[in-house]
Amino acid sequence: MTGFLVKRFLQALVVLFLVSVIVFTLLHLLPGGPARAILGPKGTPQQIEHFNHQQGYDRSLPEQYLMYLKRLFTGDLGESFKLNSPVFDLLKQRLPKTLLLTVLSTALAVIIAVPLGLLQAVRRGKASDYALTGLAFLLYATPVFFLGLIMIILFAQVLPILPAEAPQGESVGELLGDFTGLVLPVVTMAFGIVAMFSRYMRSAVLDNLTEEYVRTAMAKGQSSRRIMVRHVLRNALIPLATLLGLYLPTLFSGALVVESMFNYPGMGLLFWNAAQGSDFPVLLGVTLVVGVATVVGSLLTDILYAVLDPRIRSVA
Amino acid sequence: MTEPLLRIEDLRVDIASRERTVHALDGISLELAPGEALGIVGESGCGKTMTALSVLGLLPPGGAVTGGRVMFDGRDLAAAPAPVLQDVRGNSIGMVFQDPLTSLNPTMTVGAQVAEPLVLHRPELSRKEAWTRAEEMLRLVGMPQPAERMKAYPHQLSGGMRQRVAIAMALVCEPKLLIADEPTTALDVTTQHQILELIDGLRERLGMAMILVTHDLGVIANRVDRVAVMYAGKVAEESDVRGLFARPRHRYTEALFASLPERAADSGSALHTIPGLPPNLAARPTGCRFAPRCTFATDECRTREPRLADDDVRGGEHRFACFHPVPDDASEAEVVVPPAVPAPRAPGDVLVALDSLVKEFPLKGGAFSRRRGTVSAVGGVSLEIRRGETFGMVGESGCGKTTLGRIVAGLEEPTAGVVRFEGHDPARMSRAERRAHRRRVQLMFQDSTAAMDPRMRVGEILREPLVIQGVGSRADQEKLIAELLDAVGLPRGAVRRYPHEFSGGQRQRLGLARALTLSPDLVVADEPVSALDVSVQAQILNLMRELQRERGLTYLFISHDLAVVRHLADTVGVMYLGKLVESGPAEQVYAQPLHPYTRGLLDTVNLPDPRAAEGLDRTPLEGETPSAAKPPSGCRFRTRCPMAQEVCATTEPPVSTPNSAGHQVACHFPLSAPRLASAV
Repeated sequence: MTGFLVKRFLQALVVLFLVSVIVFTLLHLLPGGPARAILGPKGTPQQIEHFNHQQGYDRSLPEQYLMYLKRLFTGDLGESFKLNSPVFDLLKQRLPKTLLLTVLSTALAVIIAVPLGLLQAVRRGKASDYALTGLAFLLYATPVFFLGLIMIILFAQVLPILPAEAPQGESVGELLGDFTGLVLPVVTMAFGIVAMFSRYMRSAVLDNLTEEYVRTAMAKGQSSRRIMVRHVLRNALIPLATLLGLYLPTLFSGALVVESMFNYPGMGLLFWNAAQGSDFPVLLGVTLVVGVATVVGSLLTDILYAVLDPRIRSVA
Repeated sequence: MTEPLLRIEDLRVDIASRERTVHALDGISLELAPGEALGIVGESGCGKTMTALSVLGLLPPGGAVTGGRVMFDGRDLAAAPAPVLQDVRGNSIGMVFQDPLTSLNPTMTVGAQVAEPLVLHRPELSRKEAWTRAEEMLRLVGMPQPAERMKAYPHQLSGGMRQRVAIAMALVCEPKLLIADEPTTALDVTTQHQILELIDGLRERLGMAMILVTHDLGVIANRVDRVAVMYAGKVAEESDVRGLFARPRHRYTEALFASLPERAADSGSALHTIPGLPPNLAARPTGCRFAPRCTFATDECRTREPRLADDDVRGGEHRFACFHPVPDDASEAEVVVPPAVPAPRAPGDVLVALDSLVKEFPLKGGAFSRRRGTVSAVGGVSLEIRRGETFGMVGESGCGKTTLGRIVAGLEEPTAGVVRFEGHDPARMSRAERRAHRRRVQLMFQDSTAAMDPRMRVGEILREPLVIQGVGSRADQEKLIAELLDAVGLPRGAVRRYPHEFSGGQRQRLGLARALTLSPDLVVADEPVSALDVSVQAQILNLMRELQRERGLTYLFISHDLAVVRHLADTVGVMYLGKLVESGPAEQVYAQPLHPYTRGLLDTVNLPDPRAAEGLDRTPLEGETPSAAKPPSGCRFRTRCPMAQEVCATTEPPVSTPNSAGHQVACHFPLSAPRLASAV
């Protein structure tokens, strides 16, 4: 198992290196180059030349990449033009908050979706299954911003029991301290995930119910409930593990909408503001983080896989 | 007869799907005494598995008991509520299923799965006690190192070992009845034998009764006390096993036995076949269900349904449902024997020659990991196939016979060695020559549907090779296809249909037609009849032989079934772990095997005759085939060979011909005594 993890980690490093190459290339594909982006359309050619020399942009590309890598290792991702603060600091401040939002809503979603999917599979073809299926499709088809609006109208205005704005604390601890403020963003984000995961869970359970090992389990004299919990659940979670890992980067982008709706001080909001103000270093920094998230997501999938499925463990 | 342990009375089961309702069981009555072994035989779809499943209330979705009773221990299991059934399952009735690969939970350890019935039914046992008992049970079923295997997962075990686990699971609560549904069908001959021996031993030890469900008449002949023959959802005949095999009375049983390749007079004669297909059970047929396929059927058979009645001579011991039974004094020879086919022409010149053929596959862990080792699939095989003959290649799974066939067909490149066609090596041909050469060798697969594009009509499938090779105009091609369909006995209208619309036997006919479109010289047939029922198998074997005679075909016939190969092949090769251990004329190899492996294989086969096994000195093979990734040094068979000496571990045995020139063996100590005559 350890060997497997080490190997997987080394593979992740390779992928991250490739991500850094792509991000670096993107940086150099900016129209007019970084200088034009920073100095604006009014910058004189002299100013641009001076800036490029100062930043090392007049050197060869490989040389620049090495410099970029060196800066990357020291945590220097450049400076935000708009916020006048290092991108690294901004990310350090915002990332944990987005992570909090993502983890809370995913956990909530899994806790709801797994039993829901099981229930639907057991009651397949009955009224409750159809009702839940319909609801899942409705939720799945509803854009997050619309869902968020409804939530705000329902629970902050019609029934004013929850604040419409997320807590504005500096640290994760402060955010958690103001728990009521977290409810709406977390629940809004969780809805879409529940819709998707419960569908997957339902079909995974149905697939497994036709497997012969279930018949063997029945032939031992177990009750259906016990078979579900002891035999089917774990096998049905295997496809869900893949989905979870691959879905992680998407969750980040889901956070973008939710954060800007509820004014949640996370990375999504940072990205949103940076995109509106053409704050390229911030945009690239966030892109790199999403790249990391993708790699971490697939690493997570593999680990979950290995934990759930002994067959994968012995192959790896 | 003592008070029966299980009494099935007039059981009726329907299986409903969206389109139709199939009356899978239509009035089945069977009895089983304590400790007795009952075999249920029949071809696919006859209801034998449904009978077994309905005893435990394990019918598939849509299945329901619509009538009758299943009396066990004074309770009617057919009408019992879930808790009662759950109490019986795994506790007083254990069940073993066909496929040990899929019938175990892949994510649970072997120990947890074997201990589970104890946890459910013996609440007085502590977790530790249950675990200890499960371990004892594993030891009892012959699992080596049971303590370690308890912590293993199913995928870490071989097929035979998994079936042992499944048996341990079924028996851990010491049930009164074991139901085994095709328990050895997915296993190799030698493993099959070991598992059946194991079940026999345990049955005696635990005093259990057993219901053994199988399509394999060889298995049933040697393992049960009584047999019920099922056909189309009904019991056609029921008798003690000796009485049935010696003197079948129902015309279906008679025809079934006659279809066995073991029963064919000799390899020159055609096999008896049963024309047509079993009836569609969605509509309840009137009259005798076998009447449409029965040569003895009269109007009475078609209108009135025969009842299962006692034999006039032997009484209740032997019951059958037939108006025109086989006469009591009839001997087996009186079965309508099809006309003998003219003897095959003398074998011609060498068509294909393999010279020290080697095929190795790299063993890799994953995309980024390095090569971990090599699987030696074919380890240096030399042989010759003559024009017009059938070369039968036998061996157990993993012996390399399929890989060999793929190399001969040009689908795999050999790692070393040469395949020569009439002296030419396709590897040295130019692209155009090789392309033209391809048409001379064609393949026939075990599962012809899987080998055909499901979205193409049969006409397109058959025409494709002609289009690719640019043979004739469209009209020529269509004419050729029509002739081919005639030749394989399919209607010409088949061209407009899709592969899934055909039955198993028809698909194999299609597979043969597809192989023949380019009029090849050699057809490599890889287990072409393994998925078929006995009666259909006989049809395909006869057809293959007929076409061979008409078209001068050469077959490389690959099979694990020794009886089928004996029936069809002129020359036989026996492979073990990538090596050709023995080859020679079929009669010689079967009558006087020179290699201990060949001898062991022949001794292991279940003969479909309860009397045949008696008085024969049989020493079945023991152990399991080692991994081809780490083949034993010297002779690869030495780890299982009863005669192995030191030299076998150090030196690879050379090929010799101690018997006659054409009969080769690769063994340091070839056998000299001929095998006693027997059916196989």
